[in-house]
Amino acid sequence: MIDLGLYNYWIVIALMMSGLYALIARGNLIRKLIGLNIFQASVFLLYISVGFVRDGAAPILAPDVESYSNPLPHVLILTAIVVGVATTALGLALAVRIHGAYGSIDDDVLDRQRD
Amino acid sequence: MIEELIDVLLLVALLLVALQVIGSRGLLAAIMTFGAFSLVCAGLFITLDAVDVAFTEAAVGAGVATLLMLAALRRCGGEPEESPRVHWGGLVTVLVLGGLLVWGIRDLPPVGLADNPAHEHVAPRYLEQSGTEIGIPNVVTSVLASYRGFDTLGEVVVIFTAGLGVWLLLSGRRPEEEE
Amino acid sequence: MILSHAQVLVVALPLLAVPICALLPGRRLPGVFATLVAWAVLALALLLMQEVSAAGVLRYQLGGWAPPWGIEYRLDRLAALVQLLLALIAAVVLPYAARSLSDEVGERSGGAFAALLLLLTGLLGIVATGDAFNVFVFLEISSLASYTLIALGRRRRALVASFRYLILGTVGATFFLIGLGLLYALTGTLNMDDLAARMPPLAGSPAATTALFFIVVGLGLKAAMFPLHQWLPDAYAEAPPAVSAFMAATSTKVALYALARFLFGVFGLQQLTEVPMLQEGLQWLAVAGMLGGSILALRAADIGRILALSSVAQVGYILLGFALLSTAGVAAGLVHLFNHALMKGALFLALGAMIHRCGGGELARLEGVGHRMPWTMAAFMVGALSLIGVPLTAGFVGKWYLVSAVIDQSAWWLVAAILVSSILSVFYLWRIVEVAYRRPAVMPPRAEAPLILLLPTMLLALANLLVGLNSSPLVSWAEAASLSLLGTGS
Repeated sequence: MIDLGLYNYWIVIALMMSGLYALIARGNLIRKLIGLNIFQASVFLLYISVGFVRDGAAPILAPDVESYSNPLPHVLILTAIVVGVATTALGLALAVRIHGAYGSIDDDVLDRQRD
Repeated sequence: MIEELIDVLLLVALLLVALQVIGSRGLLAAIMTFGAFSLVCAGLFITLDAVDVAFTEAAVGAGVATLLMLAALRRCGGEPEESPRVHWGGLVTVLVLGGLLVWGIRDLPPVGLADNPAHEHVAPRYLEQSGTEIGIPNVVTSVLASYRGFDTLGEVVVIFTAGLGVWLLLSGRRPEEEE
Repeated sequence: MILSHAQVLVVALPLLAVPICALLPGRRLPGVFATLVAWAVLALALLLMQEVSAAGVLRYQLGGWAPPWGIEYRLDRLAALVQLLLALIAAVVLPYAARSLSDEVGERSGGAFAALLLLLTGLLGIVATGDAFNVFVFLEISSLASYTLIALGRRRRALVASFRYLILGTVGATFFLIGLGLLYALTGTLNMDDLAARMPPLAGSPAATTALFFIVVGLGLKAAMFPLHQWLPDAYAEAPPAVSAFMAATSTKVALYALARFLFGVFGLQQLTEVPMLQEGLQWLAVAGMLGGSILALRAADIGRILALSSVAQVGYILLGFALLSTAGVAAGLVHLFNHALMKGALFLALGAMIHRCGGGELARLEGVGHRMPWTMAAFMVGALSLIGVPLTAGFVGKWYLVSAVIDQSAWWLVAAILVSSILSVFYLWRIVEVAYRRPAVMPPRAEAPLILLLPTMLLALANLLVGLNSSPLVSWAEAASLSLLGTGS
C-alpha cells in the first residue's frame, strides 16, 4: 500500500496557481477565461479529494458495500461546475461584444483605448 | 495499489496538460487542449469515486464549455496574440498564495482516511438514512434533490441568469458597433 | 400562513417574479411590475423586522430537513437590518429605474428588469441563509446579474468594465470556495452555526487561518476592499445610472455583511485574536482604503468615478469598525454600512438625474448644473454633506460612533486617519460643487429632472437627514445586533 498522504493537494495547489497565473499574465480575454476555468477545476479537485475515502465505493447504495466516499463534496461540486460554465458563457458573450466594439479582445489593446 | 498508481499518474498528466494549455501557441490549440484537460479531470473524478461529477465535468467542461469557446473564437478570432512574457507581479502573487496554501494544507488530515472529520459529521446521515428517507440508491442524487435541494434551485437560477445575460448581450441594439 | 413563510417568501417573491418580468412586453411595463415586487418585498422585510425584534432569531428549515443536513434560513438582528436596507433601496430605486433604465435599454426592458430582480434575489439570498455554501450560490446569482447589468451601460467601455469585474468577481467567489473547502475538510459541516460550534478547538491552526485568509480576500474582492477595488470605479462609472445607484447602495454592503458574518459568526473572536497580525492587518487595509480611495477620488474626471472611489474609502471606514474587534466597533461599522447605502444611493440617483439631462457624468459637462437643476443638486448636496460627516446628517452618526469606538482603544493614529480622510472628502466633493455652481458662458435654460427621477432622489436625501436627526433606533438596533453577533458566536 502506498500512502499518498497529501499528494493530491500538492498537485491541486500547483494547478490552482498555474490557472491563476495564466489569468493574470495573459492579455487575450478568451485565454483569461481558460485560466479561470483551470483555476476553478483545480478547486473542484480539492473538494473531491477531501471527499475521497480509500477503499470506499462511489456513494451509490449497494447491499454488500461497507464504506463509501463522502457524497456531500460531490453535490457541492456538481453545483459549482454548472456555476462555472454559466460564468464562462457570460464571459464569452462579453468577449464577443467587446470584439464587435473594439475590434480586439486583447486586454493591453483595450487598455490603450481611452473610451 | 493500482488505484493509487492511477491517481498519481493522472494527477501528473493533468498538471502537464494544464501547462500545455497555458503555454500553447494559438487560441485554437489552447481551447482543444483545454477540452482534453477537462477529460483528464473527469477521469480523475472517477478514480476518486465521484462518478456523477465525472459525467458532469465531461459533458459540461469538455463538452459545453469547449464548444462555447470555439463558437466565441469563430466570432472574435484571428487577432495575432502577443508572445507570452513573464508577468512578475502575477508570479509573485501566485507564489505567495501557493506558499500560504501549502502551509495551511500541511495541517489537513491525509487524503482518503475513513475517519477524517469531513466523513464523521453530516455525511454519515446521508449514507445511512437516505436509503429509507428518500428511497433511491444514489446518495448524491438524494442530497442534491432533497436535503440540499435549495442549492439545486439556486443552480437552476444561475443558469437562467447567465442565459438571460447572454441573450441581453447578444441581441437587440448595439449602437456602439454601428459607428 | 404567509407570516410563517415570510422569511423564505422575501427571497422567493422577487425570484418568482423574474420569469414574468422577462416576458413582459414594452418599455415601461417591466419597470412598473418590478417596482410593485420591490414594494411587496419591503412590506415583508418590515414584517420580518418586527418578528425579529420580538423573537431574536428566526429559523426556517428549507425542504423540512433539519440543519446541518438540510439548508437553514436564519434571520437575526444583523441579517434583518441588512435585509431591510436592501428592500428599502430597491423600493426607492426601482421606480426611478422604471424610467431611467428603460430609457437606456429600450425594447430589452423586460430582460433588464428581470436581471435587476435577480440581483435583488441574489443579495437577499446571501443575507437570508444560514448555510455557507448557499452563500456561494446566491453570491454567484447576484454577480452574474451584476455583470449583465453593467454591460448594459451606454458606452462601449461598459463591456470592458463588466468583463474585468467578471474575472475578478469570479476569482473572489472561487477564493471563498477554497476557504470553505478547507473549513469543510476540518469540520465536516457547512451550516454556519454548526461551523461556529466546531471552530474553537481549531483556533489558530494553519488550516483554519488559511481558510480565514481566503474567505476574507474572496469577500474583500466583492466588497471592493482596498487594494482589491480595481473593478469598482469602472463598473460604477459605466453601468446605467439606476444600476450604479442600486449596486453602490447594496452590493458592497452585502459582501461586508457576509464578511462580518464569517469573521464573527463563524470564526469567532477567539480565533480572530489568536491569528497574529490579523487585527493590525485589517486595520492597515482599512486605513489604506480610507486614504487611498479619497486620494484617487481627488484626481478623477468623472463624477461617477469620484463617487465610486469614495465608496472604496467608505468601505474602509466600515472595515475599520469590524477590525476593532469590539462590540462598539462592529456596531459603528454596521451603522455606517446602513448610512453609507443611504448617502451613496442619494448621490448616485442625483447623478443619474443629471446624466439624464446633460448626457454624461464628466465634470466638464456638468458646468452650471446647480443652476439648471436646483432640486437635484440640493439632494446631491445633502448626500455630499452626509458623506463628509457633517452633524445632523446620517454620515455624522456612523463616524461619531466609529471615532468613539476607536478612542475606547486609544488608537489615536486611527482617529487621525478618519479625520484626514474626511478632510480629503471635502476636497473631492468640492470639485463637483464648484463646477456645478459655476456659471458657464452660455447658460442653458433651467431643466429640472422629471418628477419620477427627482422624487426617489429627494426621498433618499431626506432619509439622510431623518437618520441624522434621530439616530437612536438605528444605533440601538445595530448595538443589539453587534452584541449578539460577538457575544456567543451564534
